[in-house]
Amino acid sequence: MNVLEIQGLTKKFGNFVAVDNMTLNVKEGEIFGFLGSNGAGKSTTINMISSLLQPSAGEIRILGKDSRKHSRHAKTNLGIVPQDLAIYDDMTAYENVAFFAGLYGLRGKLLKERTEEALEFVGLGDRAKSRPSTFSGGMKRRLNIACAIAHKPSLIIMDEPTVGIDPQSRNYILESVKKLNESGCTVIYTSHYMEEVEEICSRVAIVDHGKIIADGTKEQLKAIITDVKDLSIELKPGSAYSLQSIGKIPGVRAVNEKEGRLSIQSDAAVDNLNRILKSLMDGGAEVKALQEEEPNLETVFLTLTGRSLRDQ
Amino acid sequence: MWRDIWWVAVHTLKNTFRKRSSLLVYVGLPIIGVIGSIMLYGSAGQQVLRVGIANEDGSAVIAADTAAYVSSLQHVKTTLLSREELKKKLASADLDSGLILEKGYSDSMAAGKPEGIAIQSVKGQTVTAYIKGMLNAYLDNTAAISRAAGGDRAAFDKLYADYRGGGFKLETQQVADTSLTKAMSVQSIGFLILFMMTAAVNLSEIILKSREDRTYYRILSSPISARSYVLANVLVNIAVMVVQVAVALVALRYVFGVDPGLPIVQLGGMLILFALVSVSLSLVIVAFSKNSAVSGAMSNFIITPSCLLAGCFFPISIMPDTIRKIGDFMPQRWVLQSIDELQTGDTSRISINLAVLAAFALVFFLVAAYKFGRNNDTKTFV
Ligand SMILES: Nc1ncnc2c1ncn2[C@@H]1O[C@H](COP(=O)(O)OP(=O)(O)O)[C@@H](O)[C@H]1O
Ligand SMILES: [Mg+2]
Repeated sequence: MNVLEIQGLTKKFGNFVAVDNMTLNVKEGEIFGFLGSNGAGKSTTINMISSLLQPSAGEIRILGKDSRKHSRHAKTNLGIVPQDLAIYDDMTAYENVAFFAGLYGLRGKLLKERTEEALEFVGLGDRAKSRPSTFSGGMKRRLNIACAIAHKPSLIIMDEPTVGIDPQSRNYILESVKKLNESGCTVIYTSHYMEEVEEICSRVAIVDHGKIIADGTKEQLKAIITDVKDLSIELKPGSAYSLQSIGKIPGVRAVNEKEGRLSIQSDAAVDNLNRILKSLMDGGAEVKALQEEEPNLETVFLTLTGRSLRDQ
Repeated sequence: MWRDIWWVAVHTLKNTFRKRSSLLVYVGLPIIGVIGSIMLYGSAGQQVLRVGIANEDGSAVIAADTAAYVSSLQHVKTTLLSREELKKKLASADLDSGLILEKGYSDSMAAGKPEGIAIQSVKGQTVTAYIKGMLNAYLDNTAAISRAAGGDRAAFDKLYADYRGGGFKLETQQVADTSLTKAMSVQSIGFLILFMMTAAVNLSEIILKSREDRTYYRILSSPISARSYVLANVLVNIAVMVVQVAVALVALRYVFGVDPGLPIVQLGGMLILFALVSVSLSLVIVAFSKNSAVSGAMSNFIITPSCLLAGCFFPISIMPDTIRKIGDFMPQRWVLQSIDELQTGDTSRISINLAVLAAFALVFFLVAAYKFGRNNDTKTFV
């Protein structure tokens, strides 16, 4: 069954099209990755799903019901973890979770149980009585998540829940997402970190400029790029070369340089390794190592957009 | 829906009064306003009046009694001295007021034709009025005794002795000059109005602040609608206003014992109607503000000047005519006007005044609702 169905969803801000005719389905039990660079339109899409923004066109169905006609039904079944923290700094962690859970109708003993459970789940059980103003960035992010799960929604949407936090908290959050999913919850996980999405998501949609440019399982996405090879060339420090002239070599689709390492996407069918190396050495560069990389989602993104995910 | 609204309202209340300073702002200020106006009017309650008495009627019983009576008044400190000294001390402000009892005063009292009693004062009307009001009670009683005695001096002396035996205290409470307490009450209400309007904006600003700290959007992505959220805020606002009115009136009437000169229920009812005006105006301010900094500036720009024009701080009678006319466009003016009228027992225009206040509230609510509705169409997300 589809927990979420989106059809022809579009959002315009004036003349600017932030979300462009988007269509996708999320099935029950999935961890669905929503991958795209900053400004791709991920948050705008989520804001429409959570009824905060009116779509300019298109339809959203949650558990089979139109989200605008049955907004209460839709909102009750959703748990939203907003990109920007939405917690009260002067209320304790417990009070925060209890307040938001109460908005979904929970009261009394059930509210208390669910609040404690949610805090325990994100690892803040022993900090229930502390205020978020005393928390680290990672703890605040975890509290933000607890506020979205205490009412046990069918679909949890997390908008970049790991932005700007330490690796430990990030791992904790990723593990929590997996645990939530195992307990029967469908998750939409938004990120511009390819590794995260690759690690936890069962299916991924890649968004760029408001459009879904590819979607499917990780394997399906990587299969897109069987016709592309991905070279990684490590150069001696101080090596001079011309990115431009490499880009002009037949078959080369994209060239990027990061910390003395060139990554080159090229048509698999074209045999151009010699010409690439020659171009480098003509420029006086010294090659230290050369490697053909396994395709990953980063490669997929690069291949599809010609840009790196992180560059922006 | 009401369950949701209740949940948000309780949360808002708790969150607001979590800070100790809120208690001071919302409950303390109205009390301070009352105390301030009592002090401003050099009250019968607080300040001690220094009254000099020049008794030139010597050992006559009535003159001595009059002096004793004035000394027995609450918050009055008397000194006996000569007429010249009295004038000197009044001029140098060592005395607030002076009472002169001329020779023959006692006899004239006994004869039922009071003569030779004069009050002088530098502080002006209010001080003289208080002493005069209190003294009149005594003079009236003595005159009544004189009439009862029918010119018979022996009968008078006997009746008067009985009257003295009963003590003055009872009478002093019956006749008190009320202009002072009325003015004091109006002043207290003037301050209260200012505090209510400021508090209303502070409370409505919670909506803007929640937008700034993003909790607003998180709440709206739950089953609560924007309308319910605003309604919960309005309910909290009205509740706080009602508490402010109650606290101020209890302080005025029952703690400091100032009689406002009209039934406390009428006064309270009118102020609660004005609370609706404050709340609706605060919603207009918030609806037209992008953020809480703007609404703060806007409320500074609107509230204090309009209170000034409406006569919350000074009696409107001292202002020029044009300003007085502008004041009529301020809702506060209509509350103060109604209080004035009710104090003098004039109820002819009261229903018009109340209708004007209700109209102010209604118009403000409609404007705010209209603007909020339009804001929702262009909700901005960054
Ligand atoms: N309220 C708005 N008005 C105008 N443009 C907006 C508004 N909200 C978002 N945008 C624009 O829409 C695009 C998509 O933004 P967003 O959905 O936040 O991207 P993401 O979450 O993928 O980083 C961005 O270019 C952003 O500037
Ligand atoms: Mg975003």
